[in-house]
Amino acid sequence: MAKTKLMALPLALFLLCAGMTLSAQTWKIGYLPSTVGQALTKAWGTGIDTTLKAAGNVQLQALDAQMKAETQVSMMDDFINQGYNLIILQPIDAAALTASVKKAESKGIPVITLNTDTLAPHFACVTMDDYGAGYLVGESIGKTLKGAGNVALIQSPPGALAGVEREKGFRASMAKLYPNIKIVGAQNGEWNKDKAIAIMNSFMQVNSQLDAVFAVNDNMAEGAAIAAESAGRLKNIMIWGFNGQMSTLAQIESGKVFGTAYTNAYDQGAIAAKLALEALKAGTKTFAKTQVVTVKPFLATKETVGQIPAASRW
Amino acid sequence: MSITALRRLILIGLLLAIGLGLSLASPSFLKLDNLMTLLQEASQTGIVAVGFTLVLITAGIDMSIGAVIAITAMICANFLTYTHIPAFAFIPVALGAGCLVGLFNGFFITRFKLPEFIVTLASRGILAGLALLIAVKDADGFVSNVFIQDPVYLGFGGTVGPFYIITIVFLVLAVLVQFFLKRTRSGTNIYATGANPTAARLSGINTDKTIFAVYMFSGFCASLSSIFLSARMMTAMPEFGIGSEMDVIAAVVIGGTPFTGGIGDIWGTVIGTVFLAMIKNGILKLGISPYIQPIVIGGIIVVVVVVDVWYKGFAERLARNRARRRTAEQDRAAA
Repeated sequence: MAKTKLMALPLALFLLCAGMTLSAQTWKIGYLPSTVGQALTKAWGTGIDTTLKAAGNVQLQALDAQMKAETQVSMMDDFINQGYNLIILQPIDAAALTASVKKAESKGIPVITLNTDTLAPHFACVTMDDYGAGYLVGESIGKTLKGAGNVALIQSPPGALAGVEREKGFRASMAKLYPNIKIVGAQNGEWNKDKAIAIMNSFMQVNSQLDAVFAVNDNMAEGAAIAAESAGRLKNIMIWGFNGQMSTLAQIESGKVFGTAYTNAYDQGAIAAKLALEALKAGTKTFAKTQVVTVKPFLATKETVGQIPAASRW
Repeated sequence: MSITALRRLILIGLLLAIGLGLSLASPSFLKLDNLMTLLQEASQTGIVAVGFTLVLITAGIDMSIGAVIAITAMICANFLTYTHIPAFAFIPVALGAGCLVGLFNGFFITRFKLPEFIVTLASRGILAGLALLIAVKDADGFVSNVFIQDPVYLGFGGTVGPFYIITIVFLVLAVLVQFFLKRTRSGTNIYATGANPTAARLSGINTDKTIFAVYMFSGFCASLSSIFLSARMMTAMPEFGIGSEMDVIAAVVIGGTPFTGGIGDIWGTVIGTVFLAMIKNGILKLGISPYIQPIVIGGIIVVVVVVDVWYKGFAERLARNRARRRTAEQDRAAA
């Protein structure tokens, strides 16, 4: 029994010390992306952090929702219970986070959403134009293929709004502009590189003629490129990604990935942080309508990728 | 004092120590709002864990619980979107679906003598797919997560006084099941089935029936928790609950029910779920990097289980030595 108490003591002490870092009283901002492990959410975090640091008395805490809406909802509750002054949130699902956003705003905590809007009005939403950019990718693929050929899609998990919007935009441009291009396959790559490799392999086995693949994020595009290269078919298959992370831009330069819809994620994070500071300074607590800021996409291909300076690559 | 009771006290001691550490570290930890959220989270895992404990006592395992949560949510979403049937009428149907999954699991485990893990893993896969299949779709055929507005259904996410309804349901369920386990013949049958199925059969216990019952109850509990989850989140998603089986397993094992079956109880599971929820809740308040958080949670679980196992071994050694000494003394006295 005594020995157990001895083991509990250092544990409690450790937790105590870790907690000390939270004591100084300033504005507390919570950053809650879908997951912290991705290039995109890291770049947002950097953009937010740099802008807030320049402003001074702000303290930023990030939490990892691990891609699970349930976890994200309980983390929202936690930010609310702890009396954070503002929350920057990338909702994993629009409907699932609506109740949380409502709750936060009803307690006077403004919420800024990133990429996915919720159904409840809140302070602001800083978003990439997923649908529009997906449409642009479709247009570009159609133009390069001269309006005829076989394309395949590597999808996001069903219900992941950002991925679904990209796919919808893409399909809309195909249906409207290039009715002769056939979509020969669409599989869920779960945002994930190794899953995309397996899917790409099966696409290539089933379709002897495959001209283009659109993966709704860059990780999956990189996976598709790996599979196509090892099958020796990279020359004949044009691979498109989405987001524009640093590694993919490099692969575009080396000719492995054909193109991606690039968004400056640092800027997007910085915009959210600036809005956050404005809200905190103004002290406004209720918002009848969400202020939507859309960050323009940029199609990066071998010809245009050079226009993205090193400082804007994430 | 018995070994089990002492082990329980040690676990409660650890729980209080960590709680104390957390309340010193973060002033918001002891706030009523936070404690109620903590209990709400614990109950979400806890309701599933109550059913899971019974399965574990029979030395089985149920990997399908997460997927049962998903399929139940989808059934409710369909009723809410496409019909005007009131919530209290379709919720029993949804709960029945959970029991049906248990029936399916029990059937393959008892009739075909398949390993529990494989059967329930397979039904997990089947259900996860089914959940996507029956999910509500938009005009383009993409899964669309409905925003639930039915006031009766949303009521399940509400509170009575400061307590969330789910917390009350969890505690009532825990008390009932604990009573059932310890005070009824059927409860004893569950322990007997797990401790030694052959002996149980020979002494006239219908072990197949017991196994059917525990898997059906496990499915029921998962379905029940799903209703509360979708009411809290005001939506239902086909990926709800998938992966949550790990939390349930962790909570039950922390609570002292081993994989080997034959022992364990609901009080342990209640403490285990509160313990896990407290660590998860507390960790968010410490300002630690999100990369470190899962490591700390994993570390604490290991420490708790190690202490538990170490103490169990220690107590058994102690009891053995004492018994040996006593026999030696008796021998001496006889001589």
